Amino acid sequence: MTDLLHEARLSRGQFLRMVGGLAAAAAATACSTRQETTATTGGGQATTELKFIGVADQKAPMDQLAAAYQKSKPAVRITASYAPTDQVQTSLRTQLGAGNAPDLHVVYPGNGSAMSMTQIAQAGLLADLSAQAWTQTIPAGFKPAFQLDGKTYIFSAGSSVIGAVYNKKVFEKAGIEAPPTTWSEFLAVCDKLKKSGVAPIALGAQTPWVTQLITYALVPSTVYAKDPTFDDKQLAGQASFADSGWRDAMEMYLELQKRGFFNDNPNGTTFEQQTSMVATGKAGMAVQVSAVLPDFRKAASSPDDLSMFPVPGADDANSVWIPAGVVVGLGASAKGKNAEEAKAFIDFLGKQENINAWAKAIAAIPLTQDASSSIDPAVQSFLPFTKDRAVPFMDQRWPNAEVQPVHFAVIQELLAGKSTIDEALKKMDEAYKK
Amino acid sequence: MTAGRSRPAHRGARRRFSAASPPWLFAAPALAVYALVVLYPAISGVVYAFTDWSGIGQDMSFVGLANFRTLLGDEQAMGSIGNTLLLTVAIVAVQNGVGLLLALGVHARLKSRALLRVIFFSPVVVSPVMVAFLWKYIYNPDPSAGLNGLLGLHVDWLGDPSVALWSIAGMVVWQYAGYSMVIFLAGLEGVPRELHEAAMIDGAGTFQRFRYVTWPLLAPAVTINLMLSTIGGLKLFDQIFAATNGGPGYATETLSTVLYKQAFVFGKFGYSTAVALVLALFVAAVSLVQVYYLRRREVTA
Repeated sequence: MTDLLHEARLSRGQFLRMVGGLAAAAAATACSTRQETTATTGGGQATTELKFIGVADQKAPMDQLAAAYQKSKPAVRITASYAPTDQVQTSLRTQLGAGNAPDLHVVYPGNGSAMSMTQIAQAGLLADLSAQAWTQTIPAGFKPAFQLDGKTYIFSAGSSVIGAVYNKKVFEKAGIEAPPTTWSEFLAVCDKLKKSGVAPIALGAQTPWVTQLITYALVPSTVYAKDPTFDDKQLAGQASFADSGWRDAMEMYLELQKRGFFNDNPNGTTFEQQTSMVATGKAGMAVQVSAVLPDFRKAASSPDDLSMFPVPGADDANSVWIPAGVVVGLGASAKGKNAEEAKAFIDFLGKQENINAWAKAIAAIPLTQDASSSIDPAVQSFLPFTKDRAVPFMDQRWPNAEVQPVHFAVIQELLAGKSTIDEALKKMDEAYKK
Repeated sequence: MTAGRSRPAHRGARRRFSAASPPWLFAAPALAVYALVVLYPAISGVVYAFTDWSGIGQDMSFVGLANFRTLLGDEQAMGSIGNTLLLTVAIVAVQNGVGLLLALGVHARLKSRALLRVIFFSPVVVSPVMVAFLWKYIYNPDPSAGLNGLLGLHVDWLGDPSVALWSIAGMVVWQYAGYSMVIFLAGLEGVPRELHEAAMIDGAGTFQRFRYVTWPLLAPAVTINLMLSTIGGLKLFDQIFAATNGGPGYATETLSTVLYKQAFVFGKFGYSTAVALVLALFVAAVSLVQVYYLRRREVTA
């Protein structure tokens, strides 16, 4: 190796030219940065710059509302950047850990993930929003998602539901007249779809978070419909995954696979492939969260072909419950220089018309509703459930960030036939106790 | 150079001054920068391995060796050590085998050898994450697409837990075989032609010339290649993270993905640092043993 270096000798002339080139390049970069700086401060007005880091799902509503806010408050400038969920968790946690948090950033409701409200608020990094008017109207059932020790730390525009996103045309072709309302009807619908030559359910289980959605869709009916206080009992150590309706939900999940209702190789299929299968009519439906409906619509040639229905996890239509979770929101950094301005922006987001706008952009059910609230037609069929037959997404009340990834992994193992339901539930119970 | 090496012993004192001190002075600025941006952060980070820090906030207390004890009882981390070793052995064996064959091929007097060297080396310069995305298409489980379509197979390359680890090894070998090739090639170029000519006159065939002339003289290249690919294999992260994220299940979880998840997904920064420390010591130990044994069999022309 060293011989190679010795042979690559430079003449003094070559060396000087090289150094000259570098100097010129450095000078050029310096010039360009200087120009940029002048451009930003050129407005003449003193501005407060609020930095926001969000997840990709928040881009559409945030861009719109940040622009509206700047119009009413020209002295404030919001610079936003977005990343996919897992990347946001990494980069944001690193910034929080290093003590240079952005003024505003994404926060996941409740507990159960590393960027969730409880975990960050416990570290003292979220500003208390309790004094803002909108916090008074948070529905009682949602309070655990927004509040820790009675103080509100996160703004979220409303809730989304998990159900089956389906392609109406494919259903029509298979001779299905109406969405199913019981588990046996659901299986019959899958059967008809299979006979018509499409995959009944597209499953992109290679993308970890997709693996959980079928269990989440079934557990409200198999667990919470029978015992609405299950979470409290589990927290008190009186209930477990293994000895509960979670076992039924897992068995139903695997029954769908056994009957050949999934696409081939779900573990080798991604969320994007799952989306395109339903949007292009290669599959009948996909169990998904309503917040990704815009993705399905973008991938479809006619967006109106797509709608949603609740997945019936019980054989009695009256004991079907649904998962309805508070959508990912944002919080203000408690320690930033601009904490007051950041809180003022959140107060603005809490106005009814802005809640409406945000909810509309992500097909969510608005946190509070007025005459001008509009609810996406695709989630209309969920509204009868939201009053007393809906439970938050399971992970929002799990005590640590480990249960959810374990759930992802055991589902992949079950789908691959490398594990049993007993082993899977045991692993989840172990992670819950950590 | 040769004159310096054979200097008489009585001039030792002066030599120490003239040959040892000035290089240290020249290296001092670089060493200072290195100490500031590499050594200091690395060593100060080690402290976290003995705490329960979550990665955010001020709450932190010293927990002694608790993190290391947890590691010993952590089924998932222990399983990932097995995966890490299997992956490393596969990568070291295949990458260097293929690298050597490629090097012998492009060392031959082929007309297109310059072009071939560029082609075989080109994957090395591609970002590992990009390689993972590219291979996700090649590893499409659909029987009519990608590698399956080409070979007429029905394999779920990244989705089947018993295949996924080897699929990862495959993409890593594809990327870095060219790197091993370049190092072997440098070794091959260093074999004096006279030795080959002498062997030929003695009646040695192609294989015998490789076995008794080329191979012993390639020893330094073998040492470097084995060491680099072992370290690379033990630390492998990007390709796994982008292709399978440790899944399906825990099939492709390695020490690197475990320490990443502990820090950024589970919020256990202290424990993660402990895993990282164990990984670093492990890599250092393996490399030292390897270099010690391989160096002993090196010969010079």
